[in-house]
Amino acid sequence: MAFEPVLTQNVGKPGILTVAGYRDAGGYAALRKALGMTPAEVIEEVKKSGLRGRGGAGFPAGVKWGFVPADTDQPKYLVCNADESEPGTFKDRLLMEKDPHQLLEGCAICCWAVGANTTYIYIRGEYTEAADILEEAIRDAYREGILGDDVLGSGFKLDIQVHRGAGAYICGEETGLLESLEGRRGQPRVKPPFPAIVGAFGKPTVINNVETLCNVPHILTRGADWFRGIGTDERNTGPKLYCISGHVERPGTYEVPIGVTLDELIDLAGGMHKGRALKAFIPGGASAAILPASQSHLNMDFDSLAKAGSMLGSAAVVVMDETTCLVRATWRLAKFFSHESCGQCTPCREGTNWMQMTLKRIEDGHGSEADAELILRMSRNMSGTALCALADAAVGPVQSLVTNFREEVDEHIRRGGCPLPPVPFFENGASH
Amino acid sequence: MPNVTIDGRTVEVPAGTNLIEAAKKVGVQVPHYCYHPRLTVVGQCRMCLVKIEGMPKLQAGCTTQVMRDGMVVKVDDPEVKEAQQGIMEFLLINHPLDCPICDQAGECGLQDYSFKHGQAFSRFRYEEKRTYPGRERIPLGPSVVLNMNRCIQCTRCVRFTEEISETGELGFFQRGSRAEIGTFPGKVLDNDLSTCVVDICPVGALTSTRFRFAERVWYLDKKPSICTGCDAGCNVTLEHRRGAIRRYKPRVNPEVNDHWMCDYGRTTFERFGRGERLSAPRMRSKGGDALPTNWSDALDAIARQLRRPDREGAVAFLASGHLTTEEAFLVATLADRVGTPHRAVWVEEGPERRIPNPSGGVTGRETAPNRRGIELAGLVPGDGAITAADLLEGDGAARCAVLVVAENDLGEAGRSPEVAERLRRAGFLVVVGWQDGPLAEIADVALPTATHAERSGTYVNSQGRIQRFERAFPARGDVRDGVSLFSDLLGRFEPEWSGAGDAAVFERMASAVPALGGLSFRSIPAFGSALDQQAEGAGVAEPAAGGDGQ
Repeated sequence: MAFEPVLTQNVGKPGILTVAGYRDAGGYAALRKALGMTPAEVIEEVKKSGLRGRGGAGFPAGVKWGFVPADTDQPKYLVCNADESEPGTFKDRLLMEKDPHQLLEGCAICCWAVGANTTYIYIRGEYTEAADILEEAIRDAYREGILGDDVLGSGFKLDIQVHRGAGAYICGEETGLLESLEGRRGQPRVKPPFPAIVGAFGKPTVINNVETLCNVPHILTRGADWFRGIGTDERNTGPKLYCISGHVERPGTYEVPIGVTLDELIDLAGGMHKGRALKAFIPGGASAAILPASQSHLNMDFDSLAKAGSMLGSAAVVVMDETTCLVRATWRLAKFFSHESCGQCTPCREGTNWMQMTLKRIEDGHGSEADAELILRMSRNMSGTALCALADAAVGPVQSLVTNFREEVDEHIRRGGCPLPPVPFFENGASH
Repeated sequence: MPNVTIDGRTVEVPAGTNLIEAAKKVGVQVPHYCYHPRLTVVGQCRMCLVKIEGMPKLQAGCTTQVMRDGMVVKVDDPEVKEAQQGIMEFLLINHPLDCPICDQAGECGLQDYSFKHGQAFSRFRYEEKRTYPGRERIPLGPSVVLNMNRCIQCTRCVRFTEEISETGELGFFQRGSRAEIGTFPGKVLDNDLSTCVVDICPVGALTSTRFRFAERVWYLDKKPSICTGCDAGCNVTLEHRRGAIRRYKPRVNPEVNDHWMCDYGRTTFERFGRGERLSAPRMRSKGGDALPTNWSDALDAIARQLRRPDREGAVAFLASGHLTTEEAFLVATLADRVGTPHRAVWVEEGPERRIPNPSGGVTGRETAPNRRGIELAGLVPGDGAITAADLLEGDGAARCAVLVVAENDLGEAGRSPEVAERLRRAGFLVVVGWQDGPLAEIADVALPTATHAERSGTYVNSQGRIQRFERAFPARGDVRDGVSLFSDLLGRFEPEWSGAGDAAVFERMASAVPALGGLSFRSIPAFGSALDQQAEGAGVAEPAAGGDGQ
């Protein structure tokens, strides 16, 4: 496929971590161009491109920017969500470590568009290297007049600050992130009001994912029409990073037009590990429904996956071959959500834990015939009843285990245990 | 105001009213745990999910506000019922089944909603319940004990200490299914309002050290009353079992104490159980011994003394701040009849007690509830009269031929043998009160009277608000309440007073005191009535001039 990488085009270029190197690669031209346009024109261009949020929900970025009130005396903020913690997701890390100025430029353009003078990059605490690189890049950008009181001589004022998280998945939820950023316990807020109206420190705030913001400079330099030309259709546009992990030969981050099929992605990743057969896959991170091998022809974009009952999410593609016990794999995901639930609201606090205990019991051979129904009922009780999306996220894989792989669950219960030999989760010997 | 339709009934509510409050207006109960009208809305328990026309998912009633006309809400709906059942199931899977030994049983949100919205069987059959070993009886402070196993993580208590007491001792720790309540390191839940967290805890996780294991709540009889700890006038529910008060709980009055009361106030009934009660009238015989007598003889003796033409010295009345307004009016009328200006009121200053309410709060600074009402009723010393300080701290009693201590609930001073000694210098000493002690022992006539729990009446609090309280239970022994006692005594001078009850006395008082104009005993509103402050000064009944009491 003749696709030139966009977001990852600079990866590995010498000196790209410095302003000078980034400039040599054509960087900061988009910011200069944006500063010559009115904020409304910038928002319009991003709207036209059809860019949808790359963090998981797929909300149109330009529309989100448009929600921020234009005529207000209040300070406004951009918060870049770099709390990349969904199991299987590692695309933002690549973008931040390998091309930090692309992100800073995206932040700067967004701030110009919405009238914000401050950006907080809320980065996952474990990403120490990415945080160090970003901080160095920010210092460099201040020295070069790209940040500070007079951005590129335009008179526009912009400060960017890196804020390191402390290791909670829930702080990737945008309002949980804001609470944490403000120095409180990271737990989601009641919505509405939405952050675009009442966000960080009670002020209008845009919250965008790293990859979303990295797309912005390219939309400005190459135009919304170019961007719309990439992808499946009008609603699923642009380049996309897919994080492929699991039973493939070369797991990693791959940039392709949004909407490629799983088959194409597996080919890119060097094929199935040891040539084994595909059994199931998670198309979009731990919270997406697990799909059977028969769905590998689907376009991996927002709408096609939603139609199939799953989601693109953060595009963390986990490939599982025939040696995988799906009950065990799902239990591990359920355990993750139980561990990461903030505990404030009932369905999530109690439901996620009960779910993982039930799956563990089935895997350990103590399942009962009522369990499949119990899981479905529990899933229903957790879906759409919780305060934030974490409970729904936890339901995603667990519910799909029963609906898409009922036979495997029943077999566990019938046999009184797992039909598959206990395979270490990782080939290097580390097990769950 | 926008209108909203809930289960087919339409009501207008102020914009911004949430659906739990709007539903109350049409008589629909939306079950909830974490929501409390005075605390930040957090939408955590998810028990209040309701269906809103046009919304794809159920919405939390507490977080959804009525902003525009035409919202259509369903509470009585299969989808809502299923969600409620689901939340109840989640809350119960880890809740201990220790209701038989739990203080909250009988007034427990989990029990009530289980019955109403839950199911009678459990699908949580294989796993072990979550417990918090070692955190079953953690004293959070002097007044509150935490049993974490029972907690449903609604965080009302945490928000209370952040937003109402503004002391911030409590926090929410850990996360997920291990989330728990506790005090911050180095902090102790020790503030004036701390026991309120027990009241707002919907389950038995927080219990009061004073009430713990004291009583099963279903044995308690409840009456609306007023706290007598200070002049803030907190509205309380007095809960007793066969005449033994077990606890006070705040009774909501947004104008006064709102949903709260202080820890000190909750302890004020305990003094009724300490020390000796006066249980029958006593009179000193010619031989000097205090002997039991009957009411008629005792009152006759007092009336005789008050009438004596040959007495040398003054007639003085000394009231405590615990007299009801009606009792005070009777005493003042008696003083008028006798023609004495000596109408002393002794009320001790106390620590400042502040209870927050939506309009800033109410503050009490005195140790008795009704100085303002007593003065309003006319118990104000005339010019040059013997004051309470003269009597209790000076030599005032020596100038008195007759001294009537109308209520010996005088605080510290009332228990002091030294003060008793000073008052004894009066020629004839009458002591009325519920407590026996040094003062009652040396009286010529001691008359037992009811505590505030055993009588009804009104108090005027520090805001100038008159509030009525009811008798919770009858007094034991040969005890009379102040109104019947003083009206009978007064009846010996003006027969029409004999047998006058609270309502009749109040009626006479209302016609004499402008500030009470338009009120009747039964018509005092539930939240009390703010008296016209200007009329208050003007309202003091003038003592009859030209008396011969000097």
